Amino acid sequence: MDSITTAASVVAAGLAVGLGAIGPGIGQGSAAQGAVEGIARQPEAEGKIRGTLLLSFAFMESLTIYGLVVALVLLFANPFAG
Amino acid sequence: MASEAVENCSSHDPLLDIDSSDSSSGLKSDEYLELQFRVFRLTFLLTIFSVGIAGFFWGIQASASLFIGALSGILYFRLLARGVGRLGTSSKIVGKVQLLVPVLLVLVSSRFPQLDLIPALLGFLLYKPALIIQFLLMP
Repeated sequence: MDSITTAASVVAAGLAVGLGAIGPGIGQGSAAQGAVEGIARQPEAEGKIRGTLLLSFAFMESLTIYGLVVALVLLFANPFAG
Repeated sequence: MASEAVENCSSHDPLLDIDSSDSSSGLKSDEYLELQFRVFRLTFLLTIFSVGIAGFFWGIQASASLFIGALSGILYFRLLARGVGRLGTSSKIVGKVQLLVPVLLVLVSSRFPQLDLIPALLGFLLYKPALIIQFLLMP
């Protein structure tokens, strides 16, 4: 792998993780805030709120995982490394 | 008259009734656990189905990679569920330990030639169809 490809892969990996984590981070924070408020207001609905929060977290965090996987593939299994 | 009203109120309101609040707390955790088990069961079924199809069409190596990816997906979902279960009680944030699972999966599958990266990643994402089916089946 030449040096330009290596440098571009490292920069792209950093951007993929960094930019890919911004949106899900904000979304997870607001979802957790809403869920905790909801549990505090309605403790009898805790099971349903936690279940819905778990499903939403799983969907949101998969966006982070996509960026993470792209970054790891660029770093450890780079398809452009001749 | 007023005491009867207070008695009626306390007997029907679960927030004011300590005993029923305790028993409903058990029900809440049961409901959450039941949801997790339903998702795990669906993921296992999807794993068995897709491992069989991958083994039939693409061979044993792709099938084994898919199986390992699916197992790590289940582990990831279990860790996420544990973090969400602790939220608000013993922890103020949802931990990020579960993100180590896909990292390790990619590292292992890139280091070992016996494992393929793409089937392992597809197997890891098998929990998502299970979640979608669970969402569709939710009352």
